[in-house]
Amino acid sequence: MHIKTLILIIINSLIALVIALLSFSSYQQFSNVLNDRILLQLNSIKTLKQNQIEHLLKSEWERFEASDWQNQKTDPSLLQLPDSIKNSTGIYDLTPYHVAKKTTIAFISHSKRGTIIKILDYNKIRNILLERTGMGASGESYLVGEDFRMRSQSRFYPNKIPYTITVKTKGVNNAFKSFNGRGVFKDYRGIDVYSVYSLIKVYNLKLVILSEMDVDEVTVPLQELKERLIGLTIAIFLLAVMLSLFLIRIITNPIKNMQKSLRIMAEGDYNQTNEFIKNSSEIMEMFDALANLKASLQGAVKFSDDIGKMNLNTDFKPKSSNDLLGKSLLAMRDKLIEFRNKEENTRIQSKRMLVNGLENERRRLARELHDGVGPYLTSLKHYIENRVENEVKKSEMKKIVDDTISEIRLMSNALMPASIDDFGIGVTLTNFIENLKKSTTVTIEYEDLTRQEGSNITNQQAIHLFRICQELINNSLKHANAKNIRITLSEFDNFISLFYFDDGIGFDINSIKLGSGITNIKERVEICNGTITIHSTPENSSFEIELPIEL
Amino acid sequence: MTAIKLIIADDHELFRNGLAELLRKHDDIKIVKSVADGLELMELVNTQFEADIVLLDITMPNRDGFAVLKELKALNSNIKPIVISMHDDGNYIAKCAKMGAYGYLLKNTDESELIVAIRSVAIGKKYFSAEISEKMINFMSEQSISENILSNKETEVLGLIAKGLTTKEIAAKLFVSSRTIETHRANILKKLEVKNTAELIKKAAKMNLV
Repeated sequence: MHIKTLILIIINSLIALVIALLSFSSYQQFSNVLNDRILLQLNSIKTLKQNQIEHLLKSEWERFEASDWQNQKTDPSLLQLPDSIKNSTGIYDLTPYHVAKKTTIAFISHSKRGTIIKILDYNKIRNILLERTGMGASGESYLVGEDFRMRSQSRFYPNKIPYTITVKTKGVNNAFKSFNGRGVFKDYRGIDVYSVYSLIKVYNLKLVILSEMDVDEVTVPLQELKERLIGLTIAIFLLAVMLSLFLIRIITNPIKNMQKSLRIMAEGDYNQTNEFIKNSSEIMEMFDALANLKASLQGAVKFSDDIGKMNLNTDFKPKSSNDLLGKSLLAMRDKLIEFRNKEENTRIQSKRMLVNGLENERRRLARELHDGVGPYLTSLKHYIENRVENEVKKSEMKKIVDDTISEIRLMSNALMPASIDDFGIGVTLTNFIENLKKSTTVTIEYEDLTRQEGSNITNQQAIHLFRICQELINNSLKHANAKNIRITLSEFDNFISLFYFDDGIGFDINSIKLGSGITNIKERVEICNGTITIHSTPENSSFEIELPIEL
Repeated sequence: MTAIKLIIADDHELFRNGLAELLRKHDDIKIVKSVADGLELMELVNTQFEADIVLLDITMPNRDGFAVLKELKALNSNIKPIVISMHDDGNYIAKCAKMGAYGYLLKNTDESELIVAIRSVAIGKKYFSAEISEKMINFMSEQSISENILSNKETEVLGLIAKGLTTKEIAAKLFVSSRTIETHRANILKKLEVKNTAELIKKAAKMNLV
C-alpha cells in the first residue's frame, strides 16, 4: 500500500472518529437538557393546574356545605345513581352513572332530610385545563378517572365523549399507585409524549392529572440540530480530506524523492545530483544522511576505480570503524600492493637472472675465444715459425694469424673484458676508453674514482656499469654527434655514482624509442636497485646513475 | 756458456709443445720442465728445482699467474718470471711489472722477440718491448692515485669550495652530480676531522692544501 493512502486513511479515520464522537456527545447533551427542560416546564404547568383544581374542588365543597341546600336542585333524570352513593356524603365522580356519560363531578350531602346532589360545573374545570400557556402546539392537560377513562375533553378528539376514551398508560398507573413522576411514553393515542402526572385526591375523589406534550414537537429543534450536525460533520470531513491530501503531498513528496534517489543508487549510479525540497528537519537529516551515504559510496567507488586502475598510492579513509566496505577496500588495496611488490620483485628477479645468464654466457664465450681459440692460434703461429721454410710466406702467414688474434681479442673484449673479473670496473673502463680513443676523434675524458684496493663494487654491478657505459658511448658516437664525452665513476662508502655527459644533439626523454639503449640502461639500473636521472638539451645531455653499495 | 734453463707454465698443451719446438732450435735455451698450472709450478719451485726463467701464463687453473708472481716474490726465488699472456691491456702489464715480472710478452710474439726477451732476462735485465711499455705507461698515467691524505678529486673539490663555489656550481664544473660533490665534501670533512666549511678552510689553509 502506498504511504500516501496509508496516511490518508489513518488521518481521516481519526478525524471522522473525533467528529462523530463530538457530534454524538453534543447531541446527547442537548437532548438531555431539552428533555429536562420540557419535563420541568410540563411539571410546573401540571402542578399549577393540580393546585387550581384542588383549590376549586375544596372551595366549591365548602360553598356547597354552607349554602342553602334547598336551592340546590339537580335534575335527577340525568343520573342513575346507586343507593350506596345516594346515601353517602362527599365528592364523587358520577360520570359512569351519567346517562350520556358526560363528565360529572358531584358533591353529595346525605342527611335525614334527604340527599342533596350538586354537580360541579364542568366548564370550571375545563377552563383550568384549557389554559395552555407554554404548552406548544401539541400540549394538553387532562384528567383520568379511577376506571382509566378520560374525564376531561381531549384536544385531539373534541367530538368524542371523554368517558369513551381509555387511558391506560404508564403515567396513569403510576399516579394511582401514588407515584408522582415524569417520563416519555405512549399516550392514549399511541403517540410518544413527554408526560408529567400526579394524583389529585380531594376527599374520596381520586383523579389523575396529566400534562403532556408530543415528542415530535419537542424534538423538532433536536432534529434540526441533528441535521445541522450531520451537515457540519460531512463538511468538516470533506475539508479534512482535502487538507490531508494537501499535507500528505508535502510530507510524502520528499519521501518519494528519496525513494527515487535510493532506487537510482540501488542501480549503482551514485553521481545523480537532484535537488529536493526539504521541508522538515527530519527530512533534511534524512537527505543529509543520504548525501553522506552517496558521498561515501562515491568515495568508495572512486577508490575502487583507482585500485582497479592499479593506482595503489591512492589513500582512503573509512567513514567510521563500522565502514566494512571501506575497510575491505583498504585490505584489498594492501593485498594488491603486496602482490604488486611481489610481482615487481619477481619481475626484477627474473630480469636479473636473464641478464646474468646472458652475461655469463658472454663471459664464457669471451673466455673461450680469448683463452681457448687464442692459444690455438698462437700454436698455429709457432707451427708456422717452425715449419714454414719460405720466409715470405712465413711472414705473410704470421701476419694473418696475428691479425686474427687481434680480432679475437677485440671480440673477446667486446663480449666481456677479462679485466672486469681480474681488475674491476674502474680499470676496465680505462682500458675500454683507451682502446676506443684509437678509433675515434671524439674527446673522451674518463675519471676513475673507484677504489683500487678493497673496492666494494660487485662483479654484477661492474658488468652492468660497463654495459651502461658501452651503451651510452655508443649512443653518443652513433646518434648524438658529440664532440666531447666526460665520464666520472666514483665509489663512496655507501653508493657508486656514474656521471655521464656529452655535448651532442640531445634527445627527447619522453619520445625516445623503446628499442633504443636507454631502455636497456634503465632496466640494468632497476636490476641493481639503483636510480637514474636523465637530463637532455642540445649540447648538454647528462645521465646520473647511482647504485647502492651492497655489503 | 751454460744453457738458459727454462720452465714453461701454461694450461694449453698445444701451446707448450709449439713453444718448446720453437725454442729447441736455439742451443742456448733448454726447456727443463713444462707444467700445466700454477700449483704444479709452485710445487716444483718448492723442491728447489733449478731453473733460470719461467715463461708464465696469467690465466691458468688452480693458481693463476698473479698468484705465482706474488709467491715467487715472497720466496725470493732465483727463478725469474717472464709473463706470456693473451692480454694486451696496460693494466695487466702494469700489474705484472709491479708484482715482479721481469718481462711481459704477448703469446703471439714473434720468435725473434721471444728469444731477445729470454736472453735479456737471463742476464738479469728486464724486458718490456716498446709497444708493451707504451701500453703500460698509458694506463699508469690514467691512474689518479694520490699519496696525500685527500684524493686528487677531493683536493680539486676542496679548492673549488675554498673559492666559494656552491655544491651545484662545483658539480656543473666537474661534470658530476650534486650528490657526488656533497659526498666528496662530507668525506673531506671526515678526513680532515672538521665539522663545517669554515673550519675546513681554516685547516686546509694550515695544511697548505689550498
